[in-house]
Order: sequence, then structure tokens, then C-alpha cells
Amino acid sequence: MSQTQRLTIVKPASEAATECTREGSLVLVGVNHTTAPIEVRERLSIPAARLADAIRTLAHQPGVREALILSTCNRVEFVTYQDPGAGPANPNLLRFLHEYFAIPSDTVEPHLYEFREREAVRHLFRVASSLDSMVVGEPQILGQVKESYTVAREVGAVSGTLEPLFQRAFSVAKRVRTETQIGSSSVSIASVAVDLARKIFGSLQGKTVLLVGAGKMSELAARHLIQQGATSILVTNRTQEKASLIAGQIADQISVQIAHDPAAISCTTEVIPFEQLHAQAGRADIVITSTGAEGQIFTKAHGQQFLERRRNRPMFFIDIAVPRDVDPRMNQVEGCFVYDIDDLQQVAAAHLADRSRESAAAEKIVSNEVEKYHQRLQSLDAVPAIVALQQNAEALRQAELARAAKRLADLTPEQQAAVDAMTRSLTAKLLHPQIVDLRKKSE
Amino acid sequence: MTLLWLRFAVLLYGIAALAVLPAALYDRPRWRHFAVPAAIAAALFHFVSLAETLNAAHHRLPVETHEVQSLLALILALTFLAVYAWYRSVSIGIFVLPIVFMLATLAAFRPGQETFSAPVHTGWIFLHIVLLLAAYAALVVSLLASLLYLIQERRLKSKGGNHRWLPPLDTPLETIDQIALKTLLFGLPCMTAGLLIGSVIAQADYGAKYFSDPKILLTFGLWMAYVAMIFIRRASGLRGRRAVYLSSFVFLVVLFVWAANQFSAVHKFPTP
Repeated sequence: MSQTQRLTIVKPASEAATECTREGSLVLVGVNHTTAPIEVRERLSIPAARLADAIRTLAHQPGVREALILSTCNRVEFVTYQDPGAGPANPNLLRFLHEYFAIPSDTVEPHLYEFREREAVRHLFRVASSLDSMVVGEPQILGQVKESYTVAREVGAVSGTLEPLFQRAFSVAKRVRTETQIGSSSVSIASVAVDLARKIFGSLQGKTVLLVGAGKMSELAARHLIQQGATSILVTNRTQEKASLIAGQIADQISVQIAHDPAAISCTTEVIPFEQLHAQAGRADIVITSTGAEGQIFTKAHGQQFLERRRNRPMFFIDIAVPRDVDPRMNQVEGCFVYDIDDLQQVAAAHLADRSRESAAAEKIVSNEVEKYHQRLQSLDAVPAIVALQQNAEALRQAELARAAKRLADLTPEQQAAVDAMTRSLTAKLLHPQIVDLRKKSE
Repeated sequence: MTLLWLRFAVLLYGIAALAVLPAALYDRPRWRHFAVPAAIAAALFHFVSLAETLNAAHHRLPVETHEVQSLLALILALTFLAVYAWYRSVSIGIFVLPIVFMLATLAAFRPGQETFSAPVHTGWIFLHIVLLLAAYAALVVSLLASLLYLIQERRLKSKGGNHRWLPPLDTPLETIDQIALKTLLFGLPCMTAGLLIGSVIAQADYGAKYFSDPKILLTFGLWMAYVAMIFIRRASGLRGRRAVYLSSFVFLVVLFVWAANQFSAVHKFPTP
């Protein structure tokens, strides 16, 4: 069971106990975008400021030894290392959910899923590798898991079991990213537009973007382009006030980003009167247009004029408007690249299909890593038995040497050292097959 | 032994030429880790082989057909590596490395037979040959980059439609354009200096009759075409289809210059 398409996977206690080879039990309980509607997820959601407190509270529940909570817009998961035999059936954990979030149990329980031991490890590796995300391969989830882990470490809620488990999850996610192409292509309209711009211009440093008309998607695309280095934003609209408003909003966003990281962004905004659109459009490398105009604003002839003025430097038109603002024949002009909303969606869909293909390879990596992790855990399980065996044998050897001490008293120090070495070697050789056997059994 | 080094270099060029395909066409950047080191190692072995060959022949000048082929291949390989170092792009290797492989193979398996009497001014003539070969290499790379530009442009314009069969390249359009222009800009001073050196030596050794030879005249015509091409590209920002036409025209002149070698009375050294 690697997909979380179904929920409420509660294993019988006996089965769980047979899997649990160590002192405790790893249990992961949660809801995500496939099992719970937004109404449930938002009630369980924990803001970053309260995460430390929530983790601390969970870690102090009876039976819980270590704890971590992952809370994102698409999932809330509670990872616990508990006393053996505990689980969601454990009234303490359910009570925690009920009390901490003030939600009736019957509201949450039908949407909860649970993974234990090996399946919990697999689920965690899949989550960190973005295989369980709404948009498979999206990069944010790994950062969110790392943030949760950092908070849990700070409050001392993770240690001997969850700490190495999460470190391993980060390594697995890195391996998936480097060995597959799962995150290499963009799947949102705005990021597809940015990707295409990069295929045309390479670096977007110093590029000028012209926003024609207003629209959430065009503003989002502009914001992406600014983040990638575009240094000048021109804004125009049929109503000058609206254009000024959009330019102001973008300038505000830039100010916020500059306050965050002064070195990252350097961008200016400028409002252009709509009447001057065709005279000024040639200044822009990238034109994002989303007006409500019924006719086309940019024709093929306009494209030729712009290119002539720009001495054939390429121009990229992102036409998000319906009906379209840019004559599709402009794409025939050498140096003009026109993508309308359907084209962008088509590219995004193709990328999504690529990701699905890559996710099969990623799943193999995860399975392989789960197996390795499990083997490592089992070999760790054998260590105490091996140590006990060795200690016991050593005690016997020392006792026998002590018993024979009188008879060996006449020996020279060299001869006594030889006897000591011989008994040590004999003990080691006698133990060797048993230790090998123990290790094999544990694997 | 020198041929052994060269054959080893040929093998490495072959590996590089194959490894560059997934790196540039199939969005598998890790293949660069095979292509680039293989090309670097090949160029090193190639250099050793060429240096030993020239040394063993006691003339230190690449005058036999296989030596000139070998030197041109080495310069092309170095141009590919320089483009990679500067732009982190291996796309140009799709075309350049097979050409390098082919030229090096010819040199490694079909050594030339021409005899040669050592000229005076050996050092200057060596520089003359190397500079002109560098200019030719720059022209070839620029032409190939213009072709790549055309492919990438068609691909982006098709949006996965009619030109879906075209390979997606890992290099942005503007970078390819920069490679095409910068290599031309690099080639011009090489060609100018190469021609000047050759002219001064010819003037001293043969006098004015050297400059009425058809090959020499065509070579100066080539230089003018080279200058005109750079001027047009810079002035009008020529890209895409028309840039390919222009580069192809100049490349055609290069072929004429090579062909004219057969009819030349004063400049009949072997060429690739």
C-alpha cells in the first residue's frame, strides 16, 4: 500500500506487533488532499507559529516517545514513535487530535489514514520525494518537511528513531531529484511561461516585461519573471488608474522582496498610456497580455514593426486573454514567439505526463531505499544480542582463567600472555558462526 | 606510437560525440559528465600525437594532408571546449564532435603521402596555418550554431505541433546566437592575422606575382566576405534563417578557396 488513495488503513495489532522488531513502534497518522476535503484540512492545519507548541504537546502524550507534525496546505501528518502496540486506537493520540484541534472525532476519523513501520517509512520517503504531492515533483514539500523537522529538533521531540529516519528521507528525496527528471519541467501556467522565456532568452537578467491589461494570472507570471531577474516592468491598461494600481501593487511586492533579500531583486515599474502601446511595446522582450478586448491588439504587422525596431532581437508574447489579444499569425514572424493560453496549458499537460512517467522510476528508488532502511534497522536489532553473547563469553573466559590462575602462576609473563591470547582467540572462533547466524537472521 | 595516440583520441572523440546526444537532445544533463571529459582527454591525446608527428617529421609544420586534417580537428575540438567553458552548452557538439571524429579518423587511418621541402620562416608559417585553420574552425562553428538556432526557433514556434520531430535543445536561443556571433568575431582577427603573416612572407619570398594567383585572390575575397558577414549580422541583428544563408554563403567561399588550391601555382600546400 504505497498510494494514499484510500484512508483509514488500520492494521490488526497482532500484525503490527510482528513487524515491530524494536522496542517501539513507528506510526504515521494524517490527512491529505486525497483523503480529506479542504474543510477538514483547514481545521487540522497548524500555523508555523504554533507548530512548536503542537509538536511539544504531541510528544508529551502518554505512550509517545518521539513526535513530529507536518502541516502544509495539502496535508497534516503526525509522525510518532510510540510504545509498542499503540496506534490511532491509542485513545491518547485520538484524544490529542480531538482536544488540540477542538474537532469532534467523527469529523476527522473517517478521513484519517495510518501507516505503520515499513509502510510509514515508505510514506514518509514518498512525501519528502514529492511523490505524494498534489502536483507530483513540486519542490516545496521537501523544504516544508525540513522545516517541520527543524522545529521538532528544536523542541527536543525527535531523537534516536525519528532523527535518522528523517535524515534518510532527505537523502532519498535528493536521490529522487538527481536520478530522475521528476522535477525538471514546470507544470503551472505561470512557470511554463517563465520556462519558455528562459528557453528563448536564457537568463532573464535585464529583460523588460510589458503587462497589457489586468489579470491574476498575468500578474503571477510577471512576478515569476521578476524573481528570475527581469529588471523592468511596463504596465498599460485602457484605464490609466487601473494601470497605476497594478504597477503600484507590483512595486509593493518588489519592495517586500527587496526587504527580504536586497541582493536578489532590482526592478523598476513604469506605467505606459494605452495610446502609446504600439509605439512602446517594442521596448519589451516579453509581453504578457490579458485584456478583455474583443478584437486583436497585436497583429502580424505589429510584430514585424517591433522586430525591425529591435533589430531582430526576439520577442515573446504570452497571450492569456480570451478572446485572444495577439494575432496567432504573428508567430510566423521570425523572432516573434506567440503562446496563447491553450498552448501554455498544452505544454503544462505534456510536462505533467513526463512527470508521471518519471514517477515510476522514483517509486523504484523509494522502494529500494525502504528496503535498505529496513535492513539497516534489523541489523541494528541484532546488535544487542551479539553484544550480550560476546559479553557472556568473555565473562566465562575470565572466570576460567581465574580458576586456573594458581596452576598458571609458574608461567612466565610471556607464557601467560600467550594463554590469554589463545583463550581469547578460541572464544572468538567459537562465537563466530553464532554471530554470523544472528546477523543473517536479522537481515 | 603517434598514430596510436591519435587512434585513442579518435575513440574518445567517438565516445564524446555519442555522449553529447543525450546531454543536448534528451534533457539528460548527466551525460555531459561523459562527453566533456572524453572530449578533453581526446584533445590531450590528439595534441600529443600531433606534436610528436610534427617533431618526428623534422619540419614542425602541419603540411601533409593528414597533419592539416588533424590540426583542424584539434582546433575544432578546442573550440567546442571553449564554447562549453564559456556558455556551459554542449549543443554545438552535436555537429562539431562528429566532424572532429571524422577528420581525426581520416588522419589516423589514412596518413598523407605528400613530400615536403622545409621552407624558411617555419615559425611564421606555422602561425599562418594555425591562425587560418582557427578562422575556418570559427566559421564552421558559427554556421553550425546558426543551424542550431534555426532548429531551436522552429521547435519553440511549433509548440509541439508540426516540428515535434525536431530535438529539444538544452541551450537557449540567445545563447546560441551569442555563440554564432562570438565565434565569428573570434575568427576575423585570426583570419586577418593569418593572411597578413602569409602576405608578408610571400612578398619577401615570391614578390608581387604571388598576389595575382587565383587562390590568393579568392582568399582575400573570403576575408572580405567574412568582414561583410560580421558587419551585416551586427548592423541588422540578423538571426535564424537569413543568418544560416549568409554563413552558408561564406562557407561556400571557403570551399572554393580549398578547391582553388588545385589550380594554384604558388600556394599548393595540401589542405583537408
